[in-house]
Amino acid sequence: MDSAAASAIPRGQVDLVDFVDWSGVECLNQSTSHSLTNALKQGYRDDVGLHLESDADEQLLIYIPFTQVIKLHSVVIKGPEEEGPKTVKLFTNKEHMGFSNVSDFPSSDSIALSPDNLKGKPVNLKYVKFQNVRSLTIFIEDNQGGNDVSKVQKIVLYGTTVDTTNMKDLKKIEEH
Amino acid sequence: MVLEATMICIDNSEWTRNGDYSPSRFQAQAEAVNLICGAKTQSNPENTVGVLTMAGKGVRVLVTPTSDLGKILSCMHGLEIGGELNLTAGIQVAQLALKHRQNKKQQQRIIVFAGSPIKYDKKTLEAIGRKLKKNSVSLDIVDFGECDDGKPEKLETLISVVNNNDSSHIVRVPPGPNALSDVLMSTPIFTGDGDGGSGFAAAAAAAAAGGMSGFDFGVDPNIDPELALALRVSMEEERARQEAAAKKAAEEAAKQEKEGEQASSSHDATMAEPDSSSASAVDDKRHKLTDDETALLEQALAMSMDDPKSTNVAVADTDMSEATADDQELAFALQMSVQDNVKDSSTHSEMSKALEDQSFVSSILNSLPGVDPNDASVKDLLASLQGQSEPLQKQNEDKPENEGDK
Repeated sequence: MDSAAASAIPRGQVDLVDFVDWSGVECLNQSTSHSLTNALKQGYRDDVGLHLESDADEQLLIYIPFTQVIKLHSVVIKGPEEEGPKTVKLFTNKEHMGFSNVSDFPSSDSIALSPDNLKGKPVNLKYVKFQNVRSLTIFIEDNQGGNDVSKVQKIVLYGTTVDTTNMKDLKKIEEH
Repeated sequence: MVLEATMICIDNSEWTRNGDYSPSRFQAQAEAVNLICGAKTQSNPENTVGVLTMAGKGVRVLVTPTSDLGKILSCMHGLEIGGELNLTAGIQVAQLALKHRQNKKQQQRIIVFAGSPIKYDKKTLEAIGRKLKKNSVSLDIVDFGECDDGKPEKLETLISVVNNNDSSHIVRVPPGPNALSDVLMSTPIFTGDGDGGSGFAAAAAAAAAGGMSGFDFGVDPNIDPELALALRVSMEEERARQEAAAKKAAEEAAKQEKEGEQASSSHDATMAEPDSSSASAVDDKRHKLTDDETALLEQALAMSMDDPKSTNVAVADTDMSEATADDQELAFALQMSVQDNVKDSSTHSEMSKALEDQSFVSSILNSLPGVDPNDASVKDLLASLQGQSEPLQKQNEDKPENEGDK
């Protein structure tokens, strides 16, 4: 019952994976064999064998720019019980953050993931803080088991778009 | 052509005063730095390079990452040597400088010159390495100068911790005659992980080695393509000509017993052309040696004969069919005699036998209008040609006969 509700998309929201600007997606401290695309991209993220893994230590810093301005409603972060993330901080509209300046300013939202969340239950965010989001930075501070390596199976972002012009949709007016 | 921001960490500690690299460790380091800056900026115009010193009073950033090569080179002047190397602080400051680079899209790289002993333990170095890896900073280490126990291992561990996908390297440069910059040029530090600065590196290497611009024929095809093309074409033509001549010479050398003049004429021709050691077989070389003698002999005889025909032999082309019978015999005799002198292989044994036939030789000489067998120079010539005492005696016998004729 819970998992069924979890997989249903919250009302009125869309999966924002279509609006991700893939050319600017970055992830610090990821291991080369297990990269961010495994957790984020459609198709990859549903593959149980593929996951995102951290490298030198357990922290991960994920930067996701969008092609247009969005409002973020909720997120789903799936991962294994032990190595799945625990403390996750979200920052909006901050480009090129590094591990050194995650503590420089307060996060837009900070969530502590429960094992339920790791199974797919969406986490509702402070919607008011995510009204005008151009880019999102996800900082995974530690994991459930306190291991050296954090693993993330799937990251899904739910929200709506603010009606901004998508330049690709612009078509030339035909002269008659 | 990776877009990169590089921080170069220079060692200006007391250990770099040493002269085991010429002119001194510090100078060699400075040259290497200059070369690296050039290579980086050439491989991608948007690359930036910065420099800091690690020893002295403390870590000091001389220039923040910039693409202005002049600024970098000028800040290398007037650097003072002193103090001790502070590796950890140096790397951390470099990391900070890179973090505040203008163009965030650039990859981060730190190049460290380690000329003095490392006093840190492996744990500290590993911690630093992990931090670098976490922030996706690549590290290159140039290990030169002091080599105390543990230094190579420490640096190796540091590189292995930082290394991500083979983007970090360590190079050990032992002291020796080669300049530090020359050794570095062949390393991945310079060649920038495969592509990128390899063009510059190759050109620079050639320039250092040959003092040329690094291109064929000393002409930059970019600057003067027509000249470069003309030079290349003429070189190829020359090579083709020499190969053809060598081939012909080789063929004629095989036919030498029957038609000796062919070989000598053709070798005269080849002598006139620029020497090409690659084209010449052993035969050619030998003939070239004897060619000088042959040419001189022929010239001397030609002058004494005052015969235009023989001058043809001296400067003859390879076409033997035009030669007259006299020239043939003369050149043939000379050829054989010269070969006999050099004590050649058995292929020429037949000719030497013919030479030994004194009557044959004297008949030739008598047939020549201008040659007087009594002439001392001719006698000496004959003596040298024969190289045997017997013919000499025979000549002495002939002499009174001729005198009698006269």
